[in-house]
Amino acid sequence: MRRLFSVNVAAAAVLSLVTGTAAAQTFTPPGDGKRLFDGLCQDCHGANGVGDEAPALNHALAADDAALRKIIRDGIPERGMPRVRRMTEPEVEVLAAYVRSLGAGRPETVAGNGDKGHALYQRLDCASCHVVDGAGGTFGPELSKIGQRRSPAWLRQALTDPGRLKSKGVQGILQNGFSEYLPVSVVEKNGSEVRGFRVNEDSFTIQLRDAQGKLYSFRKSDVTNVDKQPGRSMMPSYKDRLSAGDTDDLVAYLYSLGRAK
Amino acid sequence: MSRRIFSVAAALLMFAGGGAVAQVPYQRIVQAGNAPQDWLTYSGNYNSQRYSALSQINRNNVSQLRPAWMYQLKRPGVFETTPVVADGVMYITEPPSTVAALDVKTGRPLWRWTPQIPDNVIVIGSPPVNRGVAILDDMVFAGSIAGHLTALDAKSGVVRWDVTVDDNRKGYYLTLAPLALDGKVVVGVSGAEAGIRGFIAAYDAKTGNQVWRTYTIPGPGEPGRESWGKDSANIGGSSSWLTGSYDPALNTLYWMTGNPGPDYDGDVRPGDNLYSCSVLALDPNTGRIKWHFQFTPHDVHDWDSNQIPVLFDDTINGKPRKLLAVANRNAFYYVIDRETGEFVTGQAYAKQTWAAGLDAKGRPILKAGNEPTIDGKEVWPNLQGSANWYSPSYSPQTKLFYQFTREMSSIYYKGQAQYTAGLAYTAGGGTAVDGDTAYAAIRALDGTSGKLRWEFKLFEPGMDGVMSTAGGLVFGGTEEGNFFALDAMNGKPLWDMQLGGPIHANPMSFGVDGKQYVAIPAGWTLYVFALP
Repeated sequence: MRRLFSVNVAAAAVLSLVTGTAAAQTFTPPGDGKRLFDGLCQDCHGANGVGDEAPALNHALAADDAALRKIIRDGIPERGMPRVRRMTEPEVEVLAAYVRSLGAGRPETVAGNGDKGHALYQRLDCASCHVVDGAGGTFGPELSKIGQRRSPAWLRQALTDPGRLKSKGVQGILQNGFSEYLPVSVVEKNGSEVRGFRVNEDSFTIQLRDAQGKLYSFRKSDVTNVDKQPGRSMMPSYKDRLSAGDTDDLVAYLYSLGRAK
Repeated sequence: MSRRIFSVAAALLMFAGGGAVAQVPYQRIVQAGNAPQDWLTYSGNYNSQRYSALSQINRNNVSQLRPAWMYQLKRPGVFETTPVVADGVMYITEPPSTVAALDVKTGRPLWRWTPQIPDNVIVIGSPPVNRGVAILDDMVFAGSIAGHLTALDAKSGVVRWDVTVDDNRKGYYLTLAPLALDGKVVVGVSGAEAGIRGFIAAYDAKTGNQVWRTYTIPGPGEPGRESWGKDSANIGGSSSWLTGSYDPALNTLYWMTGNPGPDYDGDVRPGDNLYSCSVLALDPNTGRIKWHFQFTPHDVHDWDSNQIPVLFDDTINGKPRKLLAVANRNAFYYVIDRETGEFVTGQAYAKQTWAAGLDAKGRPILKAGNEPTIDGKEVWPNLQGSANWYSPSYSPQTKLFYQFTREMSSIYYKGQAQYTAGLAYTAGGGTAVDGDTAYAAIRALDGTSGKLRWEFKLFEPGMDGVMSTAGGLVFGGTEEGNFFALDAMNGKPLWDMQLGGPIHANPMSFGVDGKQYVAIPAGWTLYVFALP
């Protein structure tokens, strides 16, 4: 442990010169906040906390410092945030300080025009599959507050290459890291095929919903084949259907959803 | 077959009901295999095979299995009990530390006892659970998360005695089912994540006086102490939180030990860290260590060896051998001579990336670079292991060892730890790499060689024990709430039912009035099944 942290002593020394604080008194040098974040948090919250699988952290989320420390210490199990590991109080303190520094920044600026994006959303009939503020179809995920949860880069990928999105179970009924909206093809013993997304699954059964919204429940032993298709999405790619400018506008609209204007 | 079993059962029941002074004398536990209508220890009997000799429910009729009764918890919690059944009464524990006696025919409670648990009780390293009771003579024995061991009158639930096993303010607590021997009750402790010094202790069953205590970390000057560098031994963990096994003929007790602490930073405790992640063979009269075998020297992945040591006899190379087998959390299956502690054979039964194999003495041949780091290092198996506390089963019919196997990795992180009594002392942790990339399977291993004979794949790695039966069945559960029976010969699924809550428990079986039952907790409910 001593060896691990010695590499940061130099950084801490520089920092203590700049800030004039006695960093040597803390067990964890303050510069380790970013290092801890990169190791423990960025896989879900994105580099510099811009948001990815988990919400962006570049705007204040926790009510106060105590709430932030509690979230870092314990996670939010009911919303899919694990306690990655137990931390000592000095570790929690430097990590909380780093997260607070992210929150002091501004939300990302996006190139597109949100109003034009809204018009595109209507023209492309995205509402046939998605709900915004109570209106729309429910085949795909609700987007009312998608701007809080996802970064612009993530939203762009959702439009251009949706199959490659990491969309693991934090909201769906299945949770525990299972892929949400996983496309599945089931071939029944009579040869007919059902395609839809997985709603739920256990060791013996699987439940699907197809594009018409119809629910299917199969015992796996009663069908010929269950083909789960990670890397594919029920949503079509708009890569070749939108210009670069249109994509920017649509990203700007989606990123505005649920965020203070 | 089943008729013969039940005629023996009826005779025993009549004997027990005929005013015998002691309900469950020691000799009755020794002979438990001959009276399969009862289930007298956590794992069924002293050899911990979790095998029921009842065969009324079998591969021809299991498809008709139906719920007979259910019992619901009064407060929610993780429900991990294995019931003990004797003379028409089922004894269960409820989370965190309640004991209840139920009528086995109806599930109606006969008594319930809940100890005082302080609001500031310290439980670091597991959920606040309890896995069951021990029974001996007229008493049942249960541990508590407050660090106590209590003896209750089996008929009324009245407290006969209560002792503090060790100080909960230092992180000691009990989750295991005690093991009752001849006049003694043996327990181990949880708390390695809080920097305890683990031990196994025996108490006089009549008085609660401690008969012996054997530390799982040697004291100053004792052999093995040198395996803890940097003066780390006194807070080195090595807890003993799962029920052991016992061989009455060899008069030897077998007890498994957990991870060294702090879990993920081995730099502060250079050396093998004896007797962490080991099995200890103990003299039950004195607690003396006859031999030890360490599975994972200097563990840095929290791979406790708190699994069930399963005892069986077989012939290897023409020689009859008394064996002890473990499917370890570290992904290797071990067969050990239980008279001498000699390593017989071992091999991986699940995916692992940390060792090139086992050497001739069973010591893992490490692959470099698999220690936890501050940035995270992915290693198989998962932090919760390929196996964990939940029980395997060995069937003397098939000579197969059945194991719910978790196929999953973790990203292991190294952190920092300062020891403070009663606080976590882990220095890191791990995240599960789960979801659709992970899975589980019931694996049937040849008992003496560990070779895979068949597997039945399951959706999600859980904490689900198995039981095999003379009916040619293996019962098991899933994280998603399925309870099922497989053909013990080939793993073919024969019956399943969705119970509506995750199963984190082991199946068991008992008989009453000529009828066989199978019990399993799921969610917050205990389910008991029988044929129509």
